[in-house]
Amino acid sequence: MKNIIQITHLSKSFGEVKAVQDLSFCVKEGELFAFLGINGAGKSTTINIMCGQLSKDSGSIQIDGQNLDSNMDLIKRKLGVVFQSSVLDSALSVYDNLESRAALYGIVGTAFKDRLSELANLLDFEELLKRPVGKLSGGQRRRIDIARALFHKPKILILDEPTTGLDPQTRKNIWNVISYLRQNENMTVFLTTHYMEEAAEADYVVIIDNGKISAEGTPLELKNTYTGDYITLYGANEQDVKKIGVEYERIRDAYRLSVSDTKTATGLIIKYPQLFDDYEITKGKMDDVFLAVTGKTLTGGTKK
Amino acid sequence: MSVSLILIKRNIKLFFKDKGMFFTSLITPAILLVLYATFLGNLYRDNFTSALNGTVQLSEDLIDGLVGGQLISSILAVSCITVAFCSNFLMVQDKVNGTIKDLRISPAKPATLSLSYYIATLVSTLIICFTATVICLVYVGIVGWYMSVFDVLLLFLDVLLLVLFGTALSSLINFFLSTQGQISALGAILSAGYGFICGAYMPISSFGDGLQKVVAFLPGTYGTSLVRNHSMQGVFADMENQGVPGEVIESLRDSLDCNIYFFDNQVNVPTMYVILGVVTVVLIGAYILLNAFKKKI
Repeated sequence: MKNIIQITHLSKSFGEVKAVQDLSFCVKEGELFAFLGINGAGKSTTINIMCGQLSKDSGSIQIDGQNLDSNMDLIKRKLGVVFQSSVLDSALSVYDNLESRAALYGIVGTAFKDRLSELANLLDFEELLKRPVGKLSGGQRRRIDIARALFHKPKILILDEPTTGLDPQTRKNIWNVISYLRQNENMTVFLTTHYMEEAAEADYVVIIDNGKISAEGTPLELKNTYTGDYITLYGANEQDVKKIGVEYERIRDAYRLSVSDTKTATGLIIKYPQLFDDYEITKGKMDDVFLAVTGKTLTGGTKK
Repeated sequence: MSVSLILIKRNIKLFFKDKGMFFTSLITPAILLVLYATFLGNLYRDNFTSALNGTVQLSEDLIDGLVGGQLISSILAVSCITVAFCSNFLMVQDKVNGTIKDLRISPAKPATLSLSYYIATLVSTLIICFTATVICLVYVGIVGWYMSVFDVLLLFLDVLLLVLFGTALSSLINFFLSTQGQISALGAILSAGYGFICGAYMPISSFGDGLQKVVAFLPGTYGTSLVRNHSMQGVFADMENQGVPGEVIESLRDSLDCNIYFFDNQVNVPTMYVILGVVTVVLIGAYILLNAFKKKI
């Protein structure tokens, strides 16, 4: 897979504040890339530079083989962006909004109507076309935001916290559409999110803190590097669990043992087979990775 | 439909759907109507009668025509500017609510976006101001009609020029605004202040000497004077026919801002057109340059 986004030594400051410092990473074509960090970590600055909204102080950005400095117009046609908050015109209907945004890419007339019909089917908003965007629910508005971002068939979809504040069913529906696009159109998805379970589904994760990369890798690599495994042991008594000699906590109907890795877990099972009648081994979660890497937790957009 | 046309359509629709912006733009003309209905109309009627000093007896119709002419010229002179500013606030609101980011991530040229704001403001303002002109003419027709067809055509030309000027000025000023607070502040200053400095609430001739000299530097003053000239010309012509002495008419023209003086030199009507036209072109040029040289943060 080729690199569709290549960022090298990117830096950007606002006065004394160093928003992004010497950032370098790559995104491969077709992958789901998660870009994590607390608010103010530098995620939005990076995205704004990629979209040509902000200038950079130094470094280079290549998107689909095009240099950002010399081919911005071409790059803009390859990017679709779903902003953190909806930026559509609340007073106008869904149809009017999409018509004006499609026109920005030269999509007018029959081409507009054909694409509108495709997206309305995909995102199920045919019945919303005449309704003002301001009167839509959060989930409905998000679908229209995504339709706007997809209108010109971008190669890269940038999703800036796309599911924040949405109910689980709407989140699921949105992720189904994104998965469909990745599978059928080989679309690259560049995601920022505060939901770690979404980040866990990514092909590759970069965590930034204070404008610098703190950790990167696949979710598995990050979990293996920054967290241990958990053995949940059912039907055991506390005295037996104590004998194992590892850190544990009592949960509702079991004990959860913390071990450094899966190999250690296997060793314990072999050593105490009589205790391991009913158990499960799980890897650490992305929340644990984030906490270990940054010393902070992410919960629905708040820093703890 | 081309990109520009669709964007212009979007901007016009947004202005007319945003009741806040639309009604804010009509505050100053509404204040004027209330002022005239409550006391300004009577005040001016008494002033005209006393200015004639009992030398000539004028018909009630003629006096009403003069007061009506002053009212409609005030309303039109103010509306062309305030409506243009309020309509152009869309440009700032797009910055406030982040919509401009959505427009700028597209490959559409910044010049196309800027031009769409300018033309949309122009069209919205023209729709409102031409409608207002027609309503004003109907009003004058009821209270006392003295205008010729040529006066009416020139009045429409004056409104067009003032709208072009107002749109250019608002584009330039709104370019620097980026918050809701700034919109509110400018809206308030404009609603309260423009009616005053353009002589809509009280004639410029009644200002102190210093203020009159300052106001003579404002291009809008000449736009107001043009509208005044063409809405009251017929009344003065009829006065002349009824034997009112020329010096009395001139003094009325002075007091009603039909004659504007730049440091004691009277500015004639063709010069007023030139001033307004040149300033409008310069403002549009400055707006284009600002957009062309705007740097990313």
